[in-house]
Amino acid sequence: MNKVGFILKDYLVLLMILGLALVTAIIQPKFISPANLNNIMRQFGPLILVALGMTFVIVGGFIDLSVAGTINLVAVVTITLIDPLGQVGALIAGLVIGSICGAINAGLILTSGATTQAEALFITFGMSTVYSSLALIYSGGSTFHFWDLKEMPNMFEAIGAGSVGPLSVSFVIFLGALALLWIFHTKMAAGRAISLTGGNKTAARLSGVPIERSIVLIYTIAGFMAALGAIVLFSRVTTASPVIGAGFETNAILAVVVGGTTLKGGKGSVLRTVMGVLLVILLNNCLNLLGVSSYMQWAARGAILVFAIWLDNRKEVQGNQL
Amino acid sequence: MDTAGSQIILSIRDVTKSFPGVRALNGVSIDVRRGMVHGVVGENGAGKSTLMKILSGVYKKDTGTIVFDGKTIDHTTPYESMHRGLAIIYQELNLVNSMSVGENIFLGRFKEMKGMRGTHAKARELLDSIGCKVSTTKLVSELSVSTKQMVEISKALSFQSKLIIMDEPSTSLTGEEMSLLVKIIHQLKAQGISIIYISHKLEEIFDFCDVVTVMRDGNVIDTKPRGEFTRDELITKMVGRTIENEYPERSRQVGETLMEVKGINTRKLHDVSFTLRKGEILGLVGLVGAGRTETVRAIFGADRVRGHKVTIGGKPVTIHNPKQAKDAGLGLIPEDRKLQGLVLPFSVEQNISMASIDRFTRFGFLIKSLEKGIGARHVKSLGIKTPNTKVAIKNLSGGNQQKCIVGRWMEIGPSIFIMDEPTKGIDVGAKYEIYLLMKEIAEKGGAVILISSELPEVLNMSNRVLTIYDGRITGEFDPEHIPADVIMRAALGLGGAS
Amino acid sequence: MNNLYRLFTQQKAIVAIAVILLVMVAAGGDVSRIFFSSYNLLDMLNSSTILVILGLGVTLTVIAGGCDLSIGGILVVSGILSIQLQNFMPMPLALVLAVLFGTLVGFFNGFLVVQQKTEPFIITLGVGLLLTGVAQQLSDAHPVPANNPDFMNISNGYQFGDGQFTEGHFPGIPNLVIIMLICFVFFAWLIRYTSFGRNLYAIGGDYDVARYSGINVVANKWMTLVISGTMAALGGVLLSSKLNTGSAIYGDFTALVVNCGVVVGGTSFAGGVGGIWQSVLGLLLFGLLDNAMNVLNIPSWYQMMLKGTVIVAILWMDSYTQKRKRELV
Repeated sequence: MNKVGFILKDYLVLLMILGLALVTAIIQPKFISPANLNNIMRQFGPLILVALGMTFVIVGGFIDLSVAGTINLVAVVTITLIDPLGQVGALIAGLVIGSICGAINAGLILTSGATTQAEALFITFGMSTVYSSLALIYSGGSTFHFWDLKEMPNMFEAIGAGSVGPLSVSFVIFLGALALLWIFHTKMAAGRAISLTGGNKTAARLSGVPIERSIVLIYTIAGFMAALGAIVLFSRVTTASPVIGAGFETNAILAVVVGGTTLKGGKGSVLRTVMGVLLVILLNNCLNLLGVSSYMQWAARGAILVFAIWLDNRKEVQGNQL
Repeated sequence: MDTAGSQIILSIRDVTKSFPGVRALNGVSIDVRRGMVHGVVGENGAGKSTLMKILSGVYKKDTGTIVFDGKTIDHTTPYESMHRGLAIIYQELNLVNSMSVGENIFLGRFKEMKGMRGTHAKARELLDSIGCKVSTTKLVSELSVSTKQMVEISKALSFQSKLIIMDEPSTSLTGEEMSLLVKIIHQLKAQGISIIYISHKLEEIFDFCDVVTVMRDGNVIDTKPRGEFTRDELITKMVGRTIENEYPERSRQVGETLMEVKGINTRKLHDVSFTLRKGEILGLVGLVGAGRTETVRAIFGADRVRGHKVTIGGKPVTIHNPKQAKDAGLGLIPEDRKLQGLVLPFSVEQNISMASIDRFTRFGFLIKSLEKGIGARHVKSLGIKTPNTKVAIKNLSGGNQQKCIVGRWMEIGPSIFIMDEPTKGIDVGAKYEIYLLMKEIAEKGGAVILISSELPEVLNMSNRVLTIYDGRITGEFDPEHIPADVIMRAALGLGGAS
Repeated sequence: MNNLYRLFTQQKAIVAIAVILLVMVAAGGDVSRIFFSSYNLLDMLNSSTILVILGLGVTLTVIAGGCDLSIGGILVVSGILSIQLQNFMPMPLALVLAVLFGTLVGFFNGFLVVQQKTEPFIITLGVGLLLTGVAQQLSDAHPVPANNPDFMNISNGYQFGDGQFTEGHFPGIPNLVIIMLICFVFFAWLIRYTSFGRNLYAIGGDYDVARYSGINVVANKWMTLVISGTMAALGGVLLSSKLNTGSAIYGDFTALVVNCGVVVGGTSFAGGVGGIWQSVLGLLLFGLLDNAMNVLNIPSWYQMMLKGTVIVAILWMDSYTQKRKRELV
């Protein structure tokens, strides 16, 4: 295996991002207009937050399909709590609910002794259904709007549409979350424990690394970040429906894997996920500008996911031959 | 040679095989004659298993020629060799546990057997021919090791094998089962079938082998009819050096009781209790699956156990998970290095530091410079051969990987070090260094619990030996004064002083 | 106690079915009467058929140590294709092509899972996602109506009767039930009496041993995914015929429910164990659950929650029993 090949594989995502941006800019000059760039920055919001949380789950050697359900539940509960609890109270309640959803997932996985990604996949999918149905039952299937509230929730409006200098508020939230999670993962003992858990659960456990704590942490972080994503999401559209989170779990996994975090666990980084999300957003943006239907975009994302998983697997196979 | 009369069935000429960093076979030549039991002896790592895997087609040879039954074999697969009449019975048996005995014998030949009825009928015939009474519809997972071997032999016979290779078949057999195997070997021989019998037990070699080949470090040292070998000659040729410098001098500073274990009961263990003294190396001897590994895993909190009591230094301790074990001053080198010990994609440094993360953590943050120091210190003191500490551990050789795991625990400095097969699959030089380490730990006032499938290793290193059979402790011995065969009898559940 | 534990863990499907039946008996009155009416029981069987047909194919992949989560995507695309293709060609040809589409996807899955050795759970999930997108594109995210009575008749017709439920009159057997029975018998034979079937158990039980025994592991395992894709497509065509429409939304849940049903029956993701009978029981459980919830008039969102809970509970049990086995306490 030569060096060029390695670099190509490792930075394939980056190259793809650049290539895609270049091609779109040539075909559709509107791409580099300030309005569109601003648009891209705004899109960074919900998906990246959810994907950052998902990164930990995948680095820890598991997977979480329940984030869509969590987003649905948090969105409808938070918006309806704004009137009784006030904005800050509702925000906190939303984040707590998301974390609890994650903790429940972790509890189920721990108590059942599930150790494989496959087991986690099925259990969290089941839980996604449960959370989604709770959202539907709680909301009675109806959609809630900001303008139906007693007064306009200015804090959530700011989260959705406000700016800090040249940056949107949601972008600032993203930067903050990224910094905290990056420090947590690379600089803190608990973050290292998560990586070790993903690298080899048995070896980590036999070395006294608290893998149970890692499992609780990764799912709670994923739940918390999903809740944060849900809040940014409904703030942006000023509306919360009980099906608002559909598709987020697969998009988040897509972003993580496309970024280059391996599904085998152990190796990965939140920074890689940022690249992955950038690629997914750019792709959507390009396809939009190029006039591709949204359904075809869905298919394109599926195709890229399949390709990225395949590539991840190839990398692993070749790495082992060393 | 007096055996020259009979025809050569298998001729191996100048076969070499290299793995990255290791020359496993170095121009090996062996002739096997029809109707003979050909013993192949050698220590672990001598190249016996590699040679057999080349014969069966699991590995490809680098150079050399192999002629079997008059045909030159260049490239083969396990399936082709079986059809040619060359069967191999591995130590780790090649059966599908979730399927029936009959179906296992005719695995992949369902059509040839004309369905389920034919499969079971033919399997019955084969099993009967070697005097095995097991039902053909029983699941393999429910069989004993000895019966599984019978199934393997039946499978070999089903291919009209001309040569059957048995790789250390006696490792997990009781005496009675062994004599049945010997009877079958004689019967096969009478039918003109050749057998390559791999073992490191000299009794067996002298008992029924016709010709003996000695291998060491990837070379054939000598091939002679059994009668021309003396016992001492065989041993000398096997180890290539005098026995004395294979193991360091036993440490002799055994002090007061350090740990006391009372009443471990699980589905596999029955009332296991013992004590461990300061400065002691305690050997656990038993067959694979007798409960050796289960015992230490229970002590270490790796498996769930009910109502046992452990006291360390006179104080009762509660150990429900490995973390608590670590905090109580225990360390463990697990049985399976790759699956239970190493985090393969991670660096040497991170693998060494992973048990002692607390030591370089301040307020939850990792201090990388301290971690680097830990890695570098153990790489140096243990003589781990690696370009630098940032290399992924999967690139190191087995011995060096094992040393990293030792280093991982040395950083903690456990007072009780449990080593489960610490020298499995590592070269002789590295083994000696690990022996020295064990001794050092003991002499510094710690204690070591040693499990090994290599009896000489346990007997030469330990101050005291416990035998385990079928989940019970069957004896306690002083290996310096009690002969090995008495200890082995106890380990085989045949009664003994206790 | 021990026997009870074994019953609960190994015969989850039978226990769960018994529980549901007991609840329906205990409910008494009109509920029991409606539930146990021949009309309802036949209807339940009829509505479980498509799940069972999908499950037959998936069972093969799971026995061989794999899994197929793309069946939901295949189901919807084939369902839509079977209707849309009729605009360009005669119906039988359209149906054959729609089923062959599933075969093709199965072949592609096999390439990724077996030949390229990727993790089956995630890669087939990705393929399913891709196909759902394709289905939405094809249908423009709207239901695609069919307007061919012959097509509708495939799934809704009856044999040996006219399908009328009146007192003292044999209504006949629904076509779907007959198709399911044929598939069931075929698969039961395939898995028990052919070398292909037996090889799958060997492959799932111990991949390397199977390989060393000369079984063509790649071809056989590949074939399971081809079959499972084909069965999913057949299920999609039958579903479109039954509902007389094709739509991209029907596949959402299916892949998971089917794979879960297979596991409930006793075919484990660990591979090498299980069988057709067990899968059918596991899948009938979900048909029964749906039906019972409908008869009990449980609102749809609560049904969804109940079903999610059942899935989690069952998979939790599957993992837990494996953990118990590992621990040997």
